[in-house]
Amino acid sequence: MNAFVEIISVALLITDLVLVISGRLLHSIRWVAIQGILLGLLPLLLHESGFGVQMLILAVINLSVKGILLPLLLIRAMRKADVRRELEPFVGYTASLILLLAATAICFGFCRYWNIAPGAASPASVPVAFTTMVTGLFIIIARRKAITQAIGFLIFENGISMFGICMMLEHGLMVELGILLDVFVLVFVMGIALFNINREFSHIDSDKLNSLGDWDLPAQNHKDGEAEQ
Amino acid sequence: MIAILIVLLPLISAGIIYLMGKHLKFGRFLFLFTAVCHSICSVYLLLNPEAALSKWDIGKTTLLGFDPISALFLLITSLLFILVAIQTHFWLPAELAAEPEHAAAHGHTAAGFQKESVFRSCLLAFLAMMTLVTAARNLGILWVALEATTLVSAPLICFRRSAGSVEAMWKYLLICSVGIAMALFGTMLLDVAASSGGHSPGLNFDKLLLTRSTFHTGWFKAAFIFAIAGYGAKMGLAPFHTWLPDAHSEAPGTVSALLSGSLLNCSFLALMRFYALAPETLRPFCKNLMIAGGLFSLGIAAFFILRQNDFKRMLAYSSVEHMGLAAILWAIGCDQGAIFHVCGHSLIKMTLFLIAGNILLAYGTRAIPTIGGMFKDMPKTACFWLIGILFICGMPPSPLFVTEYLLVREAGPLLSTAVLLLLFVVFGGMTKVCLSMLMGHTGSSAPLPEPTKNAERLNLIPLVALIAVTCCGIMWLILLNNGEI
Repeated sequence: MNAFVEIISVALLITDLVLVISGRLLHSIRWVAIQGILLGLLPLLLHESGFGVQMLILAVINLSVKGILLPLLLIRAMRKADVRRELEPFVGYTASLILLLAATAICFGFCRYWNIAPGAASPASVPVAFTTMVTGLFIIIARRKAITQAIGFLIFENGISMFGICMMLEHGLMVELGILLDVFVLVFVMGIALFNINREFSHIDSDKLNSLGDWDLPAQNHKDGEAEQ
Repeated sequence: MIAILIVLLPLISAGIIYLMGKHLKFGRFLFLFTAVCHSICSVYLLLNPEAALSKWDIGKTTLLGFDPISALFLLITSLLFILVAIQTHFWLPAELAAEPEHAAAHGHTAAGFQKESVFRSCLLAFLAMMTLVTAARNLGILWVALEATTLVSAPLICFRRSAGSVEAMWKYLLICSVGIAMALFGTMLLDVAASSGGHSPGLNFDKLLLTRSTFHTGWFKAAFIFAIAGYGAKMGLAPFHTWLPDAHSEAPGTVSALLSGSLLNCSFLALMRFYALAPETLRPFCKNLMIAGGLFSLGIAAFFILRQNDFKRMLAYSSVEHMGLAAILWAIGCDQGAIFHVCGHSLIKMTLFLIAGNILLAYGTRAIPTIGGMFKDMPKTACFWLIGILFICGMPPSPLFVTEYLLVREAGPLLSTAVLLLLFVVFGGMTKVCLSMLMGHTGSSAPLPEPTKNAERLNLIPLVALIAVTCCGIMWLILLNNGEI
């Protein structure tokens, strides 16, 4: 069964690499969905000696939230904010890919050097989890559109839950469901926020969200909606 | 049983208010009624340790329960909420009425507001989630609840729809969520550290506390670093504090009061839980990390307060400062002092934010240089503002004087010198701002007559809170004098 875990780990690594170079938002969202589905399958493959009802319920909910609901929410937010592509990212796609490959190498080297996870499901899984987290953080920092940052957060969260699954951590039904619910509501609220940003600023470039700061006078009248001066 | 009741009560009320959106009067009544019930429950919990100790379990895992510290934090949250609820009751109509006047005076179109029912139900849901944070006995549930506080309070920040508030909301959502996700990773690392001995004790706080000497030190170090980054972000420890000034300055005064007064305490509680789990050998490591975070927060706050143009941002940085002080107090082993400090800070900061809301109501601007002569234009608010600022700077009989004295007494000479120096800078910055707003002649933005009259009437709650704070402070001074602290 361990072979399956390795296959899924590698597949997840590939999704990371694709995500970091994809410029079309719809494309990115689809790959996040694929990542969610792979992650949902992972716990089922890990427990060879049969699994209980609780695990099955969790797996089904996990798959449906991460594979279907969250991507749908993101697509809806994308349509409402009327964006299609991530133009002019801060870090170009080639550079991003090279950076991520370097990060992957560092993660694998780090885990090997410190022999970090003797208890893990497979030797490849923990470094892949770290790589996924790094990918998420990198996308949050290096991309311009606010919606891409939401996608980055999802990838980051996927990395964390992959770490949890691979280290065979079990937190109980309530905690797992709570975490899922939180992520779901977060993406929902972010969708609303994106819509509002688009309406107030008529774009969703997060680097231009800089009207609040410590150096200038606050707008003469706080009631003034004109932030960009 | 009472633990689950006290969480569900505001949550259910929030749902009802949201669904009955059209019935505003009913919503207002239910809002106040829930606040009162919640505080009765929390007083009962504090007075009856047996009831507080009763746990709520699912299967073998204990999920909810209270200990003396969390019961005290719950009481503070509840008390703050009831004061804020009363203030909201009177402030909201005044704010809605003032908007067109300000718009007319400054020549732009009036901004839209969120629906009142949504605002009130978000406030109640916020209360429910903070209660859940204090009640959680499972670190996983603690994380879930703390993340949920971010989600339900984000809509509160953009109550008044403007570009600034939407930006603040986005930053709040993103920075806090990424930060808190770090804490989730920290929680998982803690689980790994705990289960390195063989079997996993799960994430139950009490069980972890019993087995903490067997933790794997390397994993725990990593866990604590991520926890301090994650929960520190939520608590406002520099350098993870960047959401705080934006959110606090854009949110309406009553919401800032809750964010600053209760939410920061709840995040501090989460960090305290992690600290309590540190094995003895790792205590110095955790202590140094917290002291470094605290000192850095103090430094950042002092620097930004000195050259601040926005009085609500100034208060936000002052929160960063006080959370830093609390972290230092906790790290040097002065537990009582840290808890006193956050409680005193909550009350005073709530008062200040409510007063700031009143000033904003009258002047329609947060720019400090354009405000002047408040003693003449709104004398009551001006007096309370002055007293509040002096109290937050630790002027006796402020309770913060006692705790800051404790800090200087307990910390080593080097640390206390640094803290005192930074406190002095903060004091200078804040009083300078305060005096320039209070004295002299009316500045370039004159207060509008009708909103000013309304704002002057909104001073009951600040008055009550200031009296309570003074009593607290005098009591603690007496305790200190008798050598009981």
